[in-house]
Amino acid sequence: MSDTKKKAVPKEGAQKGPAAAKKAPVGNKLPAVPESVLLRRKRRDHERLHKVKTALKAKVDRLKKRREIFKRAERYVKEYRLKEREEIRLARQARNRGNYYIPGEAKLAFVVRIRGINQVSPKVRKVLQLFRLRQINNGVFVKLNKATLNMLRICEPHVTWGYPNLKSVRELIYKRGFGKVQGRRIPITSNEIIENALGKKDGSIICVEDLIHEIFTVGPRFKYASNFLWPFKLNTPTGGWRKKTTHYVEGGDFGNREDTINALLRRMV
Amino acid sequence: MASALARPLITVYSEKNEKTGTSLHLPVVFKAPIRPDVVSFVHHQMSKNRRQPYAVNKDAGHQTSAESWGTGRAVARIPRVRGGGTHRSGQGAFGNMCRGGRMFAPTKTWRRWHRRINVNQRRFALVSSIAASGVPALVMSKGHMVHDIPELPLVVSDKVQSFNKTKQAVIFLRRIKAWTDVQKVYRSRRLRAGKGKMRNRRRVQRRGPLIIYGEDQGLKLAFRNIPGVDVCSVKKLSLLKLAPGGHVGRFIIWTESAFRALDAIYGTWSSPSSEKKDYNLPTPKMTNTDLSRLLKAEEIRKVLRTPHKRPVRAVRKQNPLRNVRAMLKLNPYAAVLKRKAILTIQKKHLDKQEFLAKKTGVPLQKTKQQVRYEQLIQKRKEAIQKSKAAKPKTAKKAKKAPAAK
Repeated sequence: MSDTKKKAVPKEGAQKGPAAAKKAPVGNKLPAVPESVLLRRKRRDHERLHKVKTALKAKVDRLKKRREIFKRAERYVKEYRLKEREEIRLARQARNRGNYYIPGEAKLAFVVRIRGINQVSPKVRKVLQLFRLRQINNGVFVKLNKATLNMLRICEPHVTWGYPNLKSVRELIYKRGFGKVQGRRIPITSNEIIENALGKKDGSIICVEDLIHEIFTVGPRFKYASNFLWPFKLNTPTGGWRKKTTHYVEGGDFGNREDTINALLRRMV
Repeated sequence: MASALARPLITVYSEKNEKTGTSLHLPVVFKAPIRPDVVSFVHHQMSKNRRQPYAVNKDAGHQTSAESWGTGRAVARIPRVRGGGTHRSGQGAFGNMCRGGRMFAPTKTWRRWHRRINVNQRRFALVSSIAASGVPALVMSKGHMVHDIPELPLVVSDKVQSFNKTKQAVIFLRRIKAWTDVQKVYRSRRLRAGKGKMRNRRRVQRRGPLIIYGEDQGLKLAFRNIPGVDVCSVKKLSLLKLAPGGHVGRFIIWTESAFRALDAIYGTWSSPSSEKKDYNLPTPKMTNTDLSRLLKAEEIRKVLRTPHKRPVRAVRKQNPLRNVRAMLKLNPYAAVLKRKAILTIQKKHLDKQEFLAKKTGVPLQKTKQQVRYEQLIQKRKEAIQKSKAAKPKTAKKAKKAPAAK
């Protein structure tokens, strides 16, 4: 009742409580606006200005980035075309001289887990875990070197793998590409996701095309790029398997099927 | 602590509800933290201390010499009463399930009826309830009719202490507008629900105002017959009276000497109590409890991050290989590639038509689309040459195709 109003709160820096709407006129002055309202206005205006500035800056940055991404994508298209023609040129050149051109061994493989969870021996289980192939029809990109080749040999009956071409890589990443963001599986709907995850270090991978390029050409940051990508969850192939229990060369499905992995991926992605 | 602790002046009212000249500082007890949880707990414990033990007779159900008949007699194995010649013989005995048997776990008098409460907790609860009695919102929420009283806390001159006639007491309560609370007590008189009715607790009524006096000069006799009104010495305050039911906010009428004595009994934060050994008022957890002030304070606002008024929600993934906008969002160069693909198809088609035309000798009838295509190609060529001439380092993005195809 009367008690709360009688509380004479001593002013800390002349601040008034919000309950006191207007000060009583001192002498002949008009009632002043309470300080808290003034502060609120100042804060609000400051925030508005700041918001406008940051929005403008963000827009400019975004535009710059977009131009950069365009340029990079253009460069990559040229690069892929160049590489392809180079292979052909070298083969032709060798043939002209009566020589043989041996193309370099593949650096990139795409590994798909063929078999399910049960009755997997421990060594194979561990290798599949290391490849992040924890589910049937999961696929990952793998850099080929002595270590990984031996690993693939250990888990051979449970996987099929091969050398993906550019179209396979693109299809996989565009259609089935999910990234690992803060431990969560986030769809790649915008280049910002990739930039925040991979581009902060040196700005080499800031968009999807950069990612595809890094994977396809097994660049210096392949490890981070492929680890960023969540293991691909593929469909069972339309048209079915041949025979999952035997090796590809025996008329089955598992093991290294080199380039024909692309045909399989067309049916699985 | 200082700002929340302003001590307003309380005017003392005469027994005729006029302002006497005296005004007293609010005792610091009224600024103590109000902790309904502590009050409730202490009240709960305290109210157990007036209980009288109850128990069943220790022999009940055992005053038989029953023994089980054992197996093989086509009856249950419960002990049965010996002998014959009466209904009782052969009946089950001793068990809680038997008729006339002893109950399960017969109640004992040595059950722990009373509870001890730590002295400091007791005092904390008391001090909390006094503080709550000074808050009009809490007193009204407890249900007391305090709309018309002149002030809260209500302090009355010491004349009241020398009342010895109930008539005087009633007139006094009427004058200071506390009578409505007493009327509420009258109206709340009813029979108790339950078996208490036949256990000498037949009628119930509300609690009315509590009068706290410094010295009893007849006051007790005057007020004791008014229903609902309780009377209490300031030196012997009881939580059971100050927070009846365990709920804070009783309507209290103080006499002047009682009010003056509070600072000495309970102390202020700067000086401990002189009446109680080693006691000082509890320190509150928050010194400034004005939430609206706190939330608007610059010091707090400055440290907070900006509020997220519109949370970012997950977007549905659209397949870029099929959805053009999704593709362009990810790869702006895709527009160039798509356009190129379309133009290439058109060119090839046109070339084939021309070749066939030339071969068969039939003049080629160009469709509208093919005408437009040729115009488009022409325009593009000109635009490229123009931009190349103007700026040698044009970004290829500057090529903008007219809307056709």
